[in-house]
Amino acid sequence: MLLSPVVGIAILLCLKEEQRFLIRAVALVAAGISFALSIYTFAGYDKQLGGIQFVEKYPWVEAFGISYFVGVEGMNAPLLLLTGIVIFTGVLTMWELQTRVKEYFIFQLALVTGVFGVFMSYDLFFFFLFYEIAVVPMYVLILVWGSTRRIYAAMKLTLYLMAGSGLIIPGMLLLYSSSGLFTFDMLKLHGVPFSPWIQNIAFVLLFLGFGVLAAVWPFHTWSPVGHVAAPTAVSMLHAGVLMKLGSFAILRVAMYLCPLGFQYWAQFMALLAAIGIVYGVFVGLAQTDLKYVIGYSSVSHMGIVSLGLATGTVDGLNGAVFQMFAHGVMTALFFSAVGFIYDRTHTREIHELGGFSRIMPVASAFFITAALCGAGVPGMASFWAELLVMVAAVKVFPLRGLLAIAALVVGALFALRVVQTTFYNEPNPKFEHFEDVSPFLGLPRMILIGFLVFFGIFPQYMLGLIKTSIVPFIQGL
Amino acid sequence: MSVLQFGVELYYLVMALVLFFLTLRREPQAAQDHRIAFTLSTVGVVVALLCLTQQGELFFRSYRVDLFSQIFKLALALGLFLVLAISRNLPSIEERNHAEFYLFLTTCTVGMMMLVSAVELLTIYVALELSSYSLYILVPLRRGDDIDVEAGVKYLFFGAVSSCFMLFGLSYIFGATHSTYLSDIMARMPELVASPIGVVGLILAMAGFFFKLSIFPFHFWAPDVYQGGAHQVVTFIATASKAAAVALLIRLAVLGAQYGYHFTQILVFLSIISMTLGNLVAIIQKDFKRMLAYSSIAHAGYVLIGILTLQETGLASSIYYALAYLVMNFTVFMVLTQVAQDGRDLKIAELAGLYHRSPLLSMSLILGIFALAGVPPSIGFTGKLFLFTSAMNQGYFWLVLIGAVNGTLSLYFYLRVVYAAYFVDAKLPPIYLSPPMRALNYALCATILYFGVAPNSIMELARAAVRAVL
Repeated sequence: MLLSPVVGIAILLCLKEEQRFLIRAVALVAAGISFALSIYTFAGYDKQLGGIQFVEKYPWVEAFGISYFVGVEGMNAPLLLLTGIVIFTGVLTMWELQTRVKEYFIFQLALVTGVFGVFMSYDLFFFFLFYEIAVVPMYVLILVWGSTRRIYAAMKLTLYLMAGSGLIIPGMLLLYSSSGLFTFDMLKLHGVPFSPWIQNIAFVLLFLGFGVLAAVWPFHTWSPVGHVAAPTAVSMLHAGVLMKLGSFAILRVAMYLCPLGFQYWAQFMALLAAIGIVYGVFVGLAQTDLKYVIGYSSVSHMGIVSLGLATGTVDGLNGAVFQMFAHGVMTALFFSAVGFIYDRTHTREIHELGGFSRIMPVASAFFITAALCGAGVPGMASFWAELLVMVAAVKVFPLRGLLAIAALVVGALFALRVVQTTFYNEPNPKFEHFEDVSPFLGLPRMILIGFLVFFGIFPQYMLGLIKTSIVPFIQGL
Repeated sequence: MSVLQFGVELYYLVMALVLFFLTLRREPQAAQDHRIAFTLSTVGVVVALLCLTQQGELFFRSYRVDLFSQIFKLALALGLFLVLAISRNLPSIEERNHAEFYLFLTTCTVGMMMLVSAVELLTIYVALELSSYSLYILVPLRRGDDIDVEAGVKYLFFGAVSSCFMLFGLSYIFGATHSTYLSDIMARMPELVASPIGVVGLILAMAGFFFKLSIFPFHFWAPDVYQGGAHQVVTFIATASKAAAVALLIRLAVLGAQYGYHFTQILVFLSIISMTLGNLVAIIQKDFKRMLAYSSIAHAGYVLIGILTLQETGLASSIYYALAYLVMNFTVFMVLTQVAQDGRDLKIAELAGLYHRSPLLSMSLILGIFALAGVPPSIGFTGKLFLFTSAMNQGYFWLVLIGAVNGTLSLYFYLRVVYAAYFVDAKLPPIYLSPPMRALNYALCATILYFGVAPNSIMELARAAVRAVL
């Protein structure tokens, strides 16, 4: 799974810019193989057995106890699947790209290599290495292929995320060196009873560092700007997958290695998460650019993930991981629909688009589906996720949980408002001549909807899998 | 055979001699000179490689040949080879001086090679001066306005002053221990723990190498010399010369291994100031070489992190980082010399459109810059992480935190270079690269990536080398 994008990059490097079709084909095959493999690991994971499966482990740098250690368990299998889905549909979505095609796919595959690596790694060193690999190509991707205010957005995004890394490094190394084991192996580090003050310091460093990527309020400001500036598939990857890296890392590294630190900071985490949910909803209400609307709704949805993590209960974590998956697929669909509309009309202003569903019924349907999912309508995957998180949150943090629920209701309202003004007003005559989505370009969107609905109707496939690793995880806390 | 143990240095002495005869010719033949010098330096790398595993002591124990010294000799030979590889076209140096340029580069290399093997204070000093004097001559060789003279004078004065500091420090050490041999000094050092004379002496003795490495407060020469010197000379100063300085700092710093608190606290202080100052000032630079000068000050601070841990993995990390720095900094300078083929100073903005002018060069540039900025998967990232890890193992939490934050600061100005090269369009003619140049580009890119992902071999080598010193 990790190898196929790398091989794809190597082949792409040898191709010439002129061989557009070949370039796209190679990228698609590389992404397709990853996709297939991610489905295979998701379906082939043995739930009865539990634990970490598909393990690969090689010693890497002996002097520092670094080993290459990857595996799959219930917690990361859904996220691997998510990455597979988003990269595959992302490549399909960018099929019409015309400028610097070769470089674009190289950087995109590099990014995906990093993402896969983060989700699979059980070695802290490689975890961080892949984390950085996933973050850096964003700068180039936004700068070259981006739109609105891309120079500002790219620089802001990179500096924010790198500042996060600046906090992660000391936090990570603090755990490494105070363990006395001289190993970066997370499973071994987990067994070390760190003293409470070390855990408190390390946890807050790691939480804030990774939290930047998870768009935890108040470190979210890079994210809407970045979403707006990025090209469609990058927005999809970025909001769909990259932000999950942040919250996954909080779960995998910060909470896993510093359970006492987590308990110490849980209240604080929940507070930031609740503020994020409310803030995202209300700022989103005021936006007129569709991408900004989605950007701020992501902030609030990622707040739900953080809130779920902060509860530290089985339901909460279960819901959080499920929400990561559901939100990932959903935002990918959002951005892919908006990207399609923007490519045609060159506008994302809600008022200009008014009545769009009469011009492009299919493209609008994609967007509306995503909006319904975002509003948490039953039958969609995110319904279950949000339900679980909210139930857990109200139990553990009653006030913040209720606040979040209230915000979500408002959020549903605003999603409907956007849908209403964008798609059901009087149509703008300027755009009447546009054709609707062709079946080929509709394919990636259909895949995304398929997954949303499938896991909306059969959530137990996902939840059962996640539970196999969440239950031992909670016991370890 | 003791003569063979001196083989690498001997080879480069002969090479210097050959080049000396070339300088005597009345009619300059620049192309031929370059061919001869380049061929000789290529053979030199092979010689250094063959001598890698030698061990022994020479000249009344004042000169030790071990893995540590041989690795650095190989690095220096490689540095000279690389610099000569981009010296085919030397527009900024007058043609009749080309032979001298090669000659002094070689004598400087000989000096530094002796430096990394020297284990006696006077030998260290003499070797250091041999390499420094060559550079004092090389810096003002540049043709054109007076900026080169300013640079030359600055370099000379700062060098002279730091030599004074160093001699003063050496005299303290000699006075306190009655010996000029490092091994004797090391044995007597524990007695000096209580007295400040040891700490002061050692820090002052290291001043000479702080100067070479451009560590605060001996960094003032760097921006002017970088800007004023010819590109090739600056490349040499910024790569090979820094590696040699790291070697000697390691040799001297282990003397203070038992000192504990005060000695390391001074180093921590210098390291923090160097990296913060370098990175902050680099942000406002417009000239590419000046920016690289400040970035080199910052990188000197990073290297010091590894040295001040004073134990095996830390020192090994420093060696790894010094070697990595040699490669990545050279890559950036190589792009610089290729873009500014007429030898002029390059503003960062003038890199505009490099992507269209030469995709290969822009790829090298982006990799080199990312490596300097510590972005994975490059040697710069791995090296930096090793340095931080070993420092954290010794409990320097704040140092690591400040270092990591500095990494973010530095990213800003590095990304500006990437931005200019990749995203600003300029209607300039494409840059032609000769086939060997293309090969060099590919080799450098591959090195940066490969050893970033698979650092184990270098790291184990560095550890073995450090064991020879401790």
